[in-house]
Amino acid sequence: MSEQIQTDKTIAILNTQAPFSSAAGKEALDAALIFGSFEQATSLFFMADGVFQVIGDQNAESIELKDYLKTFSALEFYDIENIYVCAQSLTERNLTANFHLDNVQVLSNEEFSQHLHAHNVIYRF
Amino acid sequence: MQNTLALVVTTPPNSNLTTTAINLVHAALNNGVKLIGVFFYQDGVLNAAKHLAIPSDEFQTLTQWQQLSSDYNVPLYLCITAAEKRGLSDELNQHELSNIDKAFTVSGLGELVELTSKAERVVQL
Repeated sequence: MSEQIQTDKTIAILNTQAPFSSAAGKEALDAALIFGSFEQATSLFFMADGVFQVIGDQNAESIELKDYLKTFSALEFYDIENIYVCAQSLTERNLTANFHLDNVQVLSNEEFSQHLHAHNVIYRF
Repeated sequence: MQNTLALVVTTPPNSNLTTTAINLVHAALNNGVKLIGVFFYQDGVLNAAKHLAIPSDEFQTLTQWQQLSSDYNVPLYLCITAAEKRGLSDELNQHELSNIDKAFTVSGLGELVELTSKAERVVQL
């Protein structure tokens, strides 16, 4: 039996944790960039405390952490252009649309869910 | 490939999600699902720590992974970047002084991409 690589699989990376409270955000981004470098169709999703990862003007150095948020700018080189943010999560945290990324799409709960479930594989961080 | 599964473990040995992962592997093997690999990422890499001493009356995760590897040839892939950040090193490779258990194969996120694209189903814990 020959092994077939399914090339039409779409990957969703779901971020649910704040950027600097754990390594989860950085490890999610590392995974997304590797999927991108292998030309896998990959999208990024941010909900709950994960929405803090897309907010601009943060100062990681002040708590002795590497500012991995800068690395998000590499996403476009790997054609990762679908970046979805949960509107309700922003509202609940009193956050405005001050993002450090350009192509962020803010979605309602229903739209967010629809987009997420349109992917074949969901990795949650 | 039909009826294949890839499993991603992101929780440390003392998490009950790791126990769930092991139970899932057994359920898959007992039901004719071909497990093409387990990938250890984030805190999940700690499952490969050879010197971890869990009290003998508690669930022995490492023994379980070793048996799955030796009895069923389940490939156990370790993300070495995540592992090195958590004190595991492959410098001594298969040497007896290495702190990575022999049942685990040192690899990288590229392996996660391959498993994700090959498996019919992907489960992350």
